Amino acid sequence: MPALERLVGLRVVADPAALDAARWHGSDVTVLRFAPDDAFAIGAEGVDIEDEYAIVEPEAGFAGAWLSPDAVGRHAEWPLPAERPALAQGFVATVPAKVWLPDDRDDGAVLLLTAAAYADELESRLR
Amino acid sequence: MTEGGRIVVDGAPVAFEAGDSVAVAILRAGEVPGHGGTLCLAGDCGNCLAEVDGTAYVRTCQTRAEPGLRVTRHPAPGDGMPPLPEVASVDLTSPPTGREIEVRHLDVEVAVIGGGASGRAAAADAERAGRSVVVLDAGAGDEVVAIYAGPLVVARTPAGMVLVHAHEIVAATGTAEVHPVCPGNRLAGLITARAAEALHAAGVDLGEAVAIGTPPAGVSATVLDGGLVRFEANDATGRVRAVVTADPTTGAETTTLADTVILGLGRAPRDLLARMAGTAPVAVVGAAAETQPLPPAPTEGLICGCMGTTVEDLGVAWDRGFTELELLKRASQACLGPCQGGACLPNVRAWIAARTGDVPEPFTARPASRQITLAEAGADGFVDAFRRTPLHDEHLALGARMDRFGGWWRPWHYGDAVAEYWAVREGVSIGDVSTLGKLVVSGPDVVALLERIYPCHVADIKPGRSRYALLLNERGHVMDDGMILRESETRFVLSFTSGGAANAEMWLRDWIEVWGLRVHVLDRTMSLAAINVTGPLARALLVRAGLADPPRFLGHVHADVAGVPCHVMRLSFTGEAAFELHHPVDQSVALWRQLMELGADLGIRPHGLQALFGLRLEKGHVIVGMDTELDTTPRRLGMDWAVRMEKPRFIGRGSLERTAKLPDHRRWLGFQMDGAAPAEGTPIWSDGDVVGNVTGSWTSPLLGKALMLGWLRRTPFPERVEIDGRVAAVAPTPFYDPEGHRARA
Repeated sequence: MPALERLVGLRVVADPAALDAARWHGSDVTVLRFAPDDAFAIGAEGVDIEDEYAIVEPEAGFAGAWLSPDAVGRHAEWPLPAERPALAQGFVATVPAKVWLPDDRDDGAVLLLTAAAYADELESRLR
Repeated sequence: MTEGGRIVVDGAPVAFEAGDSVAVAILRAGEVPGHGGTLCLAGDCGNCLAEVDGTAYVRTCQTRAEPGLRVTRHPAPGDGMPPLPEVASVDLTSPPTGREIEVRHLDVEVAVIGGGASGRAAAADAERAGRSVVVLDAGAGDEVVAIYAGPLVVARTPAGMVLVHAHEIVAATGTAEVHPVCPGNRLAGLITARAAEALHAAGVDLGEAVAIGTPPAGVSATVLDGGLVRFEANDATGRVRAVVTADPTTGAETTTLADTVILGLGRAPRDLLARMAGTAPVAVVGAAAETQPLPPAPTEGLICGCMGTTVEDLGVAWDRGFTELELLKRASQACLGPCQGGACLPNVRAWIAARTGDVPEPFTARPASRQITLAEAGADGFVDAFRRTPLHDEHLALGARMDRFGGWWRPWHYGDAVAEYWAVREGVSIGDVSTLGKLVVSGPDVVALLERIYPCHVADIKPGRSRYALLLNERGHVMDDGMILRESETRFVLSFTSGGAANAEMWLRDWIEVWGLRVHVLDRTMSLAAINVTGPLARALLVRAGLADPPRFLGHVHADVAGVPCHVMRLSFTGEAAFELHHPVDQSVALWRQLMELGADLGIRPHGLQALFGLRLEKGHVIVGMDTELDTTPRRLGMDWAVRMEKPRFIGRGSLERTAKLPDHRRWLGFQMDGAAPAEGTPIWSDGDVVGNVTGSWTSPLLGKALMLGWLRRTPFPERVEIDGRVAAVAPTPFYDPEGHRARA
């Protein structure tokens, strides 16, 4: 079980259409769309977005690790999505978590992430 | 294999032979493992259950006899339940480990339950197809107790629990034998044909045996003709003395003396596991998949030995309208015992079929199919997760005693709560308040939203200023409280209690949707940490940390403190000047250490919840959830000042307007008395009656007496009450600095 590492980026809540069209600054940015109006852009250092009321905040409140789907699935009482890319949210080992399933990983790994406040607990439960 | 030896049954030694189960050993000794009833010795019924080595409800027929194993028979039916086991004292301040039972995960394509001929054939077929297979056979010690969606098969094994993650499940579980239902069927000496076969193989003397149905090969027994009518008792031994059968044509009864009655009354699918599978892909094969005829409908006698339900009981429940199997079992308790209908379900279905003409489908089964211990059930399972602030390890390093509060691990104290209290009152102290709920709301309709959400005014809060607010529901009851901090014309930060943030967020989102307002919401509770710097020297410390001009009371600014970007809020919960520093979680440790270092010569020390609760109690501040009840109104708290009824509308306004005209018999008040503070929750007495309870208590180091907050539920509210056997006086709050000079300093 690799350690859950802190994920740093930008958290943006904005009109869904504005988020769709947002331009992210930074290299190797991964945008996780938690909700139509809510995105966590891992690795992002800035964003251009057409919503004057958008909430844009630095985000360091999540931790995650790349794991095999089986390693995550055995601790979830719900099936991981079959399609990719996909973002799933639910309890993993009874801890609120999210699972990012990209379509560009050769090893098929998925990113398990949770609030940093839960990271130690989740890590100990998956060990 | 054990070579034989002795087990201890109800305190007396009982010899066993190699290969004996506990039940067989007891039967070999001429005793019975339970309290009579037909024994199947196949794990299907509940008639051999006993306490084994301290664990109740163990199927002794499935438990191998080992030297020294201690067996205690359960109380006879009607004499109560087996006693609960002794539980060792548990340190509740430490997270439970739940690791006492080994748990192994197994990933296979096919899990076969049952190692009989059909199970082995299914496994062989799967293997030939190149699929990974595991066979779980109770006879080999792998006892499947549950099937869940997933699919997941849970098995109890001698080495612990095995969780099998399978793509497909094959249930090759065979059949169970039908138990007799007639008068006398609770007597000892009644066994099924399979049980007779097992006892014969073990060399157990059955005495004078008779058989209804075909006895197993090699078992010597007189085969009786005719239908079973009743069993008669040997009153001296409590065992069966005779069996009475009736000629199916003439009805003439025949009484046959017997020590043992072997019952071959038919079979029923052993399908309990398949019936709990739900949508999991389970294929039932072999005898378990075959349709079996139901037994004759019973007319008299005990139908459910586990729960003591008689055929007459079924009739009573039926006549009351419980005329479906699912309802009937609940009303009569038949099939609800330890064997979950393993013995009685075929008879209950037959009884219903005789009344309705339709055979009811078996009911859905629920895990676990066998009695398992709580440790087995909880193995590899988890309790609710409690969050840790980024300062968790700092607290531990400082010797904090951690406790769970509001869904978080929090420092209760650092070894000396009174010293922490004095640091706040006379010097400077820091506390970890990262757990507070923190929402950002932004949008063109944000003022309209907050004006409707909160009972206080919002529009007049200027950017850079803040206001305390209650959060009410439609009934005018207090849901939460916190601060409203305005950042710009269209953006606010809202704070909530540690345990209330998630509900508050949902509350806001729901109303935004209902009202169709344009407001964005972002929950920052777990993205921002917060440190409360409080005490008369707090301001001086922040100046040292680079905050040249700390905000005045109820002001807030964004500024660097010790090099860390902070949202600095000038508030007070402790009664002294206080600054909350909200900052990114990944910089919290650095900020904490800087503050501790910069404040060293000021006598800084951290404070935990115990001191914080005492400090707030002296100020009479409410803690929603701890002091409040589900129907607490601002009036009951004495907080009408937080509600502006001149506002045309806000959530709860209508209810407050109506209830304001009604008398109220509850008040949350302050109390004081000499001596040490009583425990929170202590009843409050008046004239011999309990008239309330204490919600917060603290022995004030400053005032030298016990201070309490609590409820009175009797009018007229008495001025003196009795708490913890002492006279206490109702006292105005705040107890400390009522004018608020120190908080605003």
